[in-house]
Amino acid sequence: MTSDVIRFIHNDKIIEIKDSDPNETVLNYVREKYKKTGTKEGCAEGGCGACTIVVGTLNKNNIDYEAINSCIAFLPMINGKQLILVEDLAKDSKSLHPVQEAMYNFHGSQCGFCTPGFVMSLFAMFKNNYIYDDETIKDSISGNLCRCTGYNPIIKAAKSLNGKNKSDKFFKNKNLTINLLKRINNDNYNIDNNKRKFFSPKNISDLKKILKQYPNSDILNGGTDLSLRVTKERNNLNSIIYLGSIKELKYIKQNERFIEVGASTPLIKFEGIVKKFYPDFYKILKRYGSVQIRNVATISGNIATASPIGDTLPILLSLNANIVISDHKGNKIMPLNGFFINYRKTILKKGQFIKSVQIPFSKNNIFKAYKVSKRIDDDISSICGSFNINIKKNIIKEIFIAYGGMSATPKRALNCEKALLNNDFSKESFILAQKSLEKDFSPIDDVRASANYRKEIAKNLLLKCFLEIKNNKKIEING
Amino acid sequence: MAKKNQINIFEESKPHESGKKHVNGQAIYTDDILEPEGTLYGAIGYIKESNALINKIDLTDVYKSEGVVSVVTEEDIPGINDVGPVFPGDPIFPSKKVEYSGQPLFAVAATSTELARKAVLKAKIKYKKIKSIISIKDALLKKSFLVKPKIISKGNASKSIRDSKNYLSGNFYTGSQEHFYLEGQISMTVPLEDGDFLVYTSTQHPSETQQILAKMLNQSSNTISVVVRRIGGGFGGKETQSFIFAAISTLLSYKTNLPVKLKIDRDDDIIITGKRHDFYSEYEVGFENDGKINGVKIKLASRCGFSPDLSLAINDRALFHIDNTYFIPNITVTNYLCKTNTASNTAFRGFGGPQGMMCIENIIENISSKLSIDPKIIRMVNFYKINKNNTTHYNMKIKDNIINELFNDLITSSNYNKRVEKIKKFNSENQYLKKGISITPVKFGISFTTTFLNQAGALVHIYTDGSVQINHGGIEMGQGTYTKISQIASNELGLPLDKIINTSTNTEKVPNTSASAASATTDLNGAAVLDAINKIKENINNYVKNKYKINTDNVMYINEKIIYQNKYFKFKDLIKEVYLNRYSLSSTGYYSTPKIFFDPKKFKGSPFYYFAYGAAVSEVLIDTLTGENKVLQVDILHDVGKSINKAIDIGQIEGGFIQGMGWLTMEEVLWNSDGQILTHSPSTYKIPSVSDMPKVFNVNIYKDGINIENAINRSKTTGEPPLMLAMSVFFAIKNAISSISEYKIYPKLDSPATPEKILTSINEIKEFNENTRF
Repeated sequence: MTSDVIRFIHNDKIIEIKDSDPNETVLNYVREKYKKTGTKEGCAEGGCGACTIVVGTLNKNNIDYEAINSCIAFLPMINGKQLILVEDLAKDSKSLHPVQEAMYNFHGSQCGFCTPGFVMSLFAMFKNNYIYDDETIKDSISGNLCRCTGYNPIIKAAKSLNGKNKSDKFFKNKNLTINLLKRINNDNYNIDNNKRKFFSPKNISDLKKILKQYPNSDILNGGTDLSLRVTKERNNLNSIIYLGSIKELKYIKQNERFIEVGASTPLIKFEGIVKKFYPDFYKILKRYGSVQIRNVATISGNIATASPIGDTLPILLSLNANIVISDHKGNKIMPLNGFFINYRKTILKKGQFIKSVQIPFSKNNIFKAYKVSKRIDDDISSICGSFNINIKKNIIKEIFIAYGGMSATPKRALNCEKALLNNDFSKESFILAQKSLEKDFSPIDDVRASANYRKEIAKNLLLKCFLEIKNNKKIEING
Repeated sequence: MAKKNQINIFEESKPHESGKKHVNGQAIYTDDILEPEGTLYGAIGYIKESNALINKIDLTDVYKSEGVVSVVTEEDIPGINDVGPVFPGDPIFPSKKVEYSGQPLFAVAATSTELARKAVLKAKIKYKKIKSIISIKDALLKKSFLVKPKIISKGNASKSIRDSKNYLSGNFYTGSQEHFYLEGQISMTVPLEDGDFLVYTSTQHPSETQQILAKMLNQSSNTISVVVRRIGGGFGGKETQSFIFAAISTLLSYKTNLPVKLKIDRDDDIIITGKRHDFYSEYEVGFENDGKINGVKIKLASRCGFSPDLSLAINDRALFHIDNTYFIPNITVTNYLCKTNTASNTAFRGFGGPQGMMCIENIIENISSKLSIDPKIIRMVNFYKINKNNTTHYNMKIKDNIINELFNDLITSSNYNKRVEKIKKFNSENQYLKKGISITPVKFGISFTTTFLNQAGALVHIYTDGSVQINHGGIEMGQGTYTKISQIASNELGLPLDKIINTSTNTEKVPNTSASAASATTDLNGAAVLDAINKIKENINNYVKNKYKINTDNVMYINEKIIYQNKYFKFKDLIKEVYLNRYSLSSTGYYSTPKIFFDPKKFKGSPFYYFAYGAAVSEVLIDTLTGENKVLQVDILHDVGKSINKAIDIGQIEGGFIQGMGWLTMEEVLWNSDGQILTHSPSTYKIPSVSDMPKVFNVNIYKDGINIENAINRSKTTGEPPLMLAMSVFFAIKNAISSISEYKIYPKLDSPATPEKILTSINEIKEFNENTRF
């Protein structure tokens, strides 16, 4: 079945929108058409969190509460979901939700403009967790900027939620909401109004048909990058194919050899799984955007965008990940190394999509990854270095090194690898190998770092990797 | 007259007056006001050239663009095409020459913001490029100044330096800073009858907005009303930089006779508006073996951008604070106001004060390194004292000096001395990670240094049901001024807070106000509200005296009662009675700061009513392989006098500190050589986020604090001063870098201390180490 009506649940009612402009953001819709102005616009690029809303997503017989940036989400992306705004949290107009009460009592607002966003991020935290420790709190609000408070009262407010009664109105209405969500969760959503097309298929076979028919469409798979073409560059996206409703692309499987991540699995689901295999991968994912970004951003979106500073890419390269490319003819497995051609250019052809990513286990290897940026949270890397090493009897038997931020694409450091392979695992080897990095990369100056700094950090990260393995001790300031 | 009769002890931590509305989304900002039928939406067009002669602006395609209703250029301005606050020079749309990349050239009104923003991109503009001046150094070289360099001096700096046992010279740079208020610039104008306009705008300065719009339209000020309920952060960025947006929305409204909302996209906001002045200084200092400074000579240059805006006052405040807490017997400062082809730099929390202080603190640190004496000692040796060495370089006698005691208290409470030893031990045991620590003081002068601005008005109504409205010229921008002033009124009238409403700041209610700036908002406006209340109380007393023939001395307003010596009334009842007997229950109020005077020509006088003091200890950890840094612990002791609201004061201290830390560590404003700003969005310009919080953050209010002047409740403001407590973070980072040379070399490091700058500084020390083989 196909429908051209967007349906979502708001305050336990089904809201239907016909004839929507698929380039309209949820934020603009909510503020301008719906006249709910509690949700604020701070930057229109998902960088400040003032626009944070929560969407309730059906997950079997439960609801996941996902904080997202409404400023970079297109309206059809909330099709089939529950929309929760800051105005909706309290059970009536005279009371406050426990999260709001805490923010109020702990003086968590000053100018108040960022506050609704913080409230929504903390609301999602409150719903999805039972214990609110420092790590959970910081993770939950790392995508929300406050220029007034310095965050201390907000952290205190969040901590005070420990032990609070969790049966808010969403808890009480849960069954009703689940039933409503089930009612609206069935159809493909396609809109093809005069100006713009938006396709949201529910399964892979429909996706392939649409891709074949409309090969020039932009694939929306998270959209935290794509949407800026509308909100910042003021372009139109005239034909969009959205992968977010395809359940067959939302999975994480593992066998003996690798973990396989479906194309539209949000990073936030992936980070929990990868933690036990590659702790450094997890650590970098935690600094990848923010919760709001990782709730929608996907690993294959990150790959297809092919940004030289995409944080997962050097990691996947050094882990020798494969990708499964698919089109109406079938599937093809290929190594990620070789996928990137040039700045934001890949070998992906029109009509093709990335179906999944396979990340091999290498249990006998040591894996390390480092991200250097101006800010810890939600910043783009100046440089990201990733190291996958097998050492036997103090000889480097296997080594895969990749960097982001060092060239037009994320790239393996082949000369450096060569310099180390089959050599002693010693400081001398690494000092020597540092030099060959100069052959591998000629980085550029930009706002994040100068070329010289990048060159130097690339070398120093290599050294750091050695020192940490050698001394079995991390050298980190955020430990 | 009604005597001062309340015992002023509030000190309570009342929540923000809008706190509940903040958290449930009901607080209304300019963009949230329900738009009248027919509202149009604006956008601004510009070119990305920093210096260019305009030949032709072809707007044909802009007119044709979907949804466009109207376009305005400089030709549509009936009156004065300038929004410059003190001096002219800030055209709304320049007629001939673009002087910075992003300078507005025209604007459109369309049926939606999106369509307006698309339309402005379609202009075809022909121009001729001229060579531009972007950096301070370039401006100094080419002598590109806004005004001729100013020299201030006391004693004989050259001679005292010559006669000193020790000598140092060097240079230092502190970077710019983007305000990054979360609510971007926005203005909505509604046309009224007779060509009058009602303007809602996010500004710190409604009165000047009103005056500028009136001049633009060639109308008198009484035809323009400006209303501001609250703004989503200002930090100085909406003291004058908001004017152009109010001007453009009003011009579009004037031309279309329809309401127009002009909401500025974040990137355009950062591109169009000015920021904190970056400062470059060169110094020479002469000092004794114990670190006592004999004389300082400083060349102090700032990047002002293309127009004067507030740059003269900002540079003055840098000059006023170049002593910070130190008595400098001989000093000469030559101040250069560099005119550059960049947006006009403007007010930012501290207003030049932080830049001046950083300059002297850097000198102190260099002296400490040269003499191998803990910088804490150098600071203490040079502090202003009580009975001697207590007059500033601008000849103001400091009467409220508490820095010596406060500093000592913090050394003890922060365990500074022991931690210094522990850090040295850590550093000797760790090759790649290094720790650093620093304690820095703050003394910040309170008052507008332009004396006439130190005045405020208020309007207070008591309605017949006993409810109260207060109004004043202050803007609520998160600093809690509405809350504090409501508390003042509540205390003065003996009423609970819910009986009092602080209504929107409105040029119709209180005219001729000063900007909410200079940390003076509550001091000035709170006192004006108090004055209005006392005038109403006088009326009430007059009635009571006439009617009941009782002594009205020492009347008390407590718990919704008005208590005379032999008789008491319920507040509500007496108010009703006073009304029925035809006495006024409404009054204006007025306040002007006493005691201050200043002769700008001689640069001498007493420009400040009082000083606010504080000190902070910061401990940091740096990674010498990457330059990354982390603030581990911060201990603050800050003087707020007798607090009106401790929660608000703590909030200002913590928030100001983090903002200062951002300025000095990660917030880096970058321009390319063509003068285009490169850091115009949150993806490239990083303000501190939650993980940048110090791991341990001990913030304390100085217990013995009291304002010796009669400021409201004997309190001291907390608006700007705490920002400068963050200097300790910067110098702790330098301390950590210095450890690589076993504290033998004091590193060169400019602000902001980004990982890259830290690593560069480390490398310089390493090279020196290798060359000298320690």
